[in-house]
Amino acid sequence: MQKTIAKKRNKFAQEPNFTIKKSYRPDDVKETGLSFVGHEISDDGKVMNQFLHYDQLYTIRHGWNSPFFKGLLDGKIMGTRCPKCKDTWVPARTHCWRLDCNLQPTEWVEMPLTAKVHTWTVAGWSGRSSLKRLPIVLVYAIIGDSKVAIANELHKIKPWDVEFGMPLKIVFKPKDERIGAVTDFHFEPADNWKPSPTNKEKERIKKLVEPVYEWVKTMK
Amino acid sequence: MPRKVCIVGGATTPFDYGATGFESIEGGAAECIRETREDIPDFSLRDLDLMIYSHFSVHFGHQLCSEWVIHDHLGLAGLPHFRVENGGNTGGSALYAAALAVMSGHHDAIGIVGWETMDSVSQSQGSEFIALASDIRYELLVGGIYPIYYAAMANKWMKDNKVKEEDVASIGAKNRNNAMDNPKAQWYRNEHKYITVDDVMNSRLISYPIKKYDCCLMTRGVAFLLVCSEEYAKKVNPDNYVTIDGIGLSSCTIRAGDRLNYPRWTEQYGPNYPGMTEFGACRNSAEQAYKMAGIKNPKKEIDFGEIHDAFSTSEAQIYKALGLADENNIAQFLRDESTHMHGQIPMNPGGGLMGYGHPVGATGIMSTIEAYYQLADMIPKKHLSKKTEVPDAKCGIVNSHAGTGTSISNFILRRH
Repeated sequence: MQKTIAKKRNKFAQEPNFTIKKSYRPDDVKETGLSFVGHEISDDGKVMNQFLHYDQLYTIRHGWNSPFFKGLLDGKIMGTRCPKCKDTWVPARTHCWRLDCNLQPTEWVEMPLTAKVHTWTVAGWSGRSSLKRLPIVLVYAIIGDSKVAIANELHKIKPWDVEFGMPLKIVFKPKDERIGAVTDFHFEPADNWKPSPTNKEKERIKKLVEPVYEWVKTMK
Repeated sequence: MPRKVCIVGGATTPFDYGATGFESIEGGAAECIRETREDIPDFSLRDLDLMIYSHFSVHFGHQLCSEWVIHDHLGLAGLPHFRVENGGNTGGSALYAAALAVMSGHHDAIGIVGWETMDSVSQSQGSEFIALASDIRYELLVGGIYPIYYAAMANKWMKDNKVKEEDVASIGAKNRNNAMDNPKAQWYRNEHKYITVDDVMNSRLISYPIKKYDCCLMTRGVAFLLVCSEEYAKKVNPDNYVTIDGIGLSSCTIRAGDRLNYPRWTEQYGPNYPGMTEFGACRNSAEQAYKMAGIKNPKKEIDFGEIHDAFSTSEAQIYKALGLADENNIAQFLRDESTHMHGQIPMNPGGGLMGYGHPVGATGIMSTIEAYYQLADMIPKKHLSKKTEVPDAKCGIVNSHAGTGTSISNFILRRH
């Protein structure tokens, strides 16, 4: 009976075992539950604002998608390929997108560490955690023979020098700094690439990002 | 033939951000219904046979199932209700659901209440919450806010279509200036100024080519819309009801980068479409709505629109997806100010998301209400003047849009 249950449970995947449990809960994530922590009342005494606080640590269970994130730790970009139609993807798809392939499970493949810019932007504003790194060049790039583009930052370039179609290399953070997230790698221009001469658009972008550099300098 | 779907009334609270003194979703819903009853006194809450609630994010609501708070408050316990959530297209999707419910013959008078309370967290936290609708495993940490994804799409689109920054900046100015005629609009209530294309061009960089005044507002607001059968419309508002003659809803990938070679799109529209630049779900849902409404030439047959201008760039991209222009003439279409009040097909006379505001779950409902007002001759009553009235408007389009173009709906409304 036990064997039958185990067999049924393993129908979709081998059940993983995490013998070593890790706690990454930051000291300031208290998870004390929902708490009404205080209130304020308008000068005329008519209106109240109340403050509700909760902290939560989420577990993102990567399961079937794990090879991609685990690959990052090893300095590899893992994609998937459909054994039937040969379409390849990074970001990975665990089942083929072609309706005729009928959700064919895909195979993991190691991708080359080269890419090509599909489109780009220069961010002068972002989420709180990224503000100090502004301006940020974000590109959507195609890695190897992937059918899709993946977003990531492009470093070691003046923001106004990015070009459509420019060749890139993928560079990983030092091994001990990797966390198994897409920020473990970024793009850089390919070694042989040189920016084109300045033009009107480059001047315009330069003008737009100058205040961003100034503003970031004033940030603590 | 399915039954006709009609709109007989609706109203929003003023859209705003921060303390106003009237922050309460259930109170806001009640006031929207009270205003609707002033416009159509024969409408009674007793007539409703279904309530659909349109709300995007619990993260902003700090209350699971907050529709239950509203429904109960309205005195409607016992009446069937459910909530629709579909990102920025939540309002459009709720309207789609209401239309289906009337067409099916199962319901006659449906209230839709839409709302969002985006000022319950800080602006930067709010931007991050919205970005949780991107694929967080791949995109949240690189970019982290929607304007960056939209900017990357728009940058290529503008190059491909020879559209300049100034061309789209005029949309940012247009919608804010339209909002100056609308006392419920957030731009009117807060910043309250007319702006120029130069003001948009000189506003701070968000993500090239998008500047601050190319972006919509974060908003608190509630909206109510009354959708019904023609039989009910004739009973409560025989002279001023509007028909929904076409509906369309479509979808696209969550990550914009996955649209380059998507097989199902290739089957439908050929290779390289929509790519990272076009809104395939907008084109597809518009085609569905046009077909149902018998529209062959949208530019000629549609008089105006209330569309999803999350960014001035995306409003321009939407024009193309709606078939108002193609890659050969979209730049000229913009330079001709075709969608300004004096143009051939005014877009967002109510102010849109950049002027009226964008409380996500209420937004598509707000757009529908504004389109209803245009077609029911109510603009002079609801706006400050006739400046933002589209003269003799007979047909309008309502557009609601989510994600990076991930879910989009379109509706053709006609004057009865």
